[in-house]
Amino acid sequence: MDHEERTLILVKPDGVANGHIGEIITRLERRRFSIDALKVVNATKQQLGRHYAHLLDKPFYHEIEDYMLEGPIVAIIASGTGIVDVFHKMAGQTDPGEADCGTIRGDYGRDWDDGIIRNVVHSSDSPASAENEITIWFPELTK
Amino acid sequence: MAEERTLILVKPDGVACGHIGEVITRLERRRYKIEALKVLNASDEQLRAHYSALVDKPYFPGIQKFMQSGPIVAMIASGTDIVNVFHKMVGATVPSEAAIGTIRGDFGRSWGPGPIQNVVHSSDSIESAQREIPIWFPEAK
Repeated sequence: MDHEERTLILVKPDGVANGHIGEIITRLERRRFSIDALKVVNATKQQLGRHYAHLLDKPFYHEIEDYMLEGPIVAIIASGTGIVDVFHKMAGQTDPGEADCGTIRGDYGRDWDDGIIRNVVHSSDSPASAENEITIWFPELTK
Repeated sequence: MAEERTLILVKPDGVACGHIGEVITRLERRRYKIEALKVLNASDEQLRAHYSALVDKPYFPGIQKFMQSGPIVAMIASGTDIVNVFHKMVGATVPSEAAIGTIRGDFGRSWGPGPIQNVVHSSDSIESAQREIPIWFPEAK
């Protein structure tokens, strides 16, 4: 079946613990993007290793891993014309302290003394990474 | 041991009108926990099991048609007394009778003859929740 562009979104453990799942979905719904799949999941080290493959060699990788294992996350597949770029903008800068107000990270995130970047959400940065990431978090939909 | 759980469905009208996030936010604001989420198209079999008390009613085909008019979102949420509290948050079955401030009173209305389009389903007792959860989440224990 022909489908519109898709993106993979993760509501990270801080976003779930602080009660922002609904808010993030509402921001997608308000712009009339479609919510195609939803899942509450505890990330495994193996999934994180694939998702953050490009960061595995970094000295701070264990911090990312610890953070992403702090609690459950919500994985979302959303779709619509141009959604990858649009939602990436809606998420805002990686560093929540630098994210513009009105973006998810600018509205719900901040910097912390321990140096771990807790930035509420992940969003795919290209259609190709979206398709790859969907296989990691929704393997049952991509057989 | 897990706290009390309830089964919530955002029905096709709720999904089509963009209220999934709003329903979840209302649970999060009261600090209930979202345990499981799923987007799906309801099958005949699931609807017959879910509405087993209504299968023989003359209006059942209308309910079935409505519930299959688009995707739905199934949810398990948990917390002390959630079954009764969320049932109150949902409001009366007929949206035009639902109190303002309830989900149906805020997002629903009546549409003349035909199936009632009332945005969400919520389990009406702990026993119903236990019966309904495996229908929509057969993979959950």
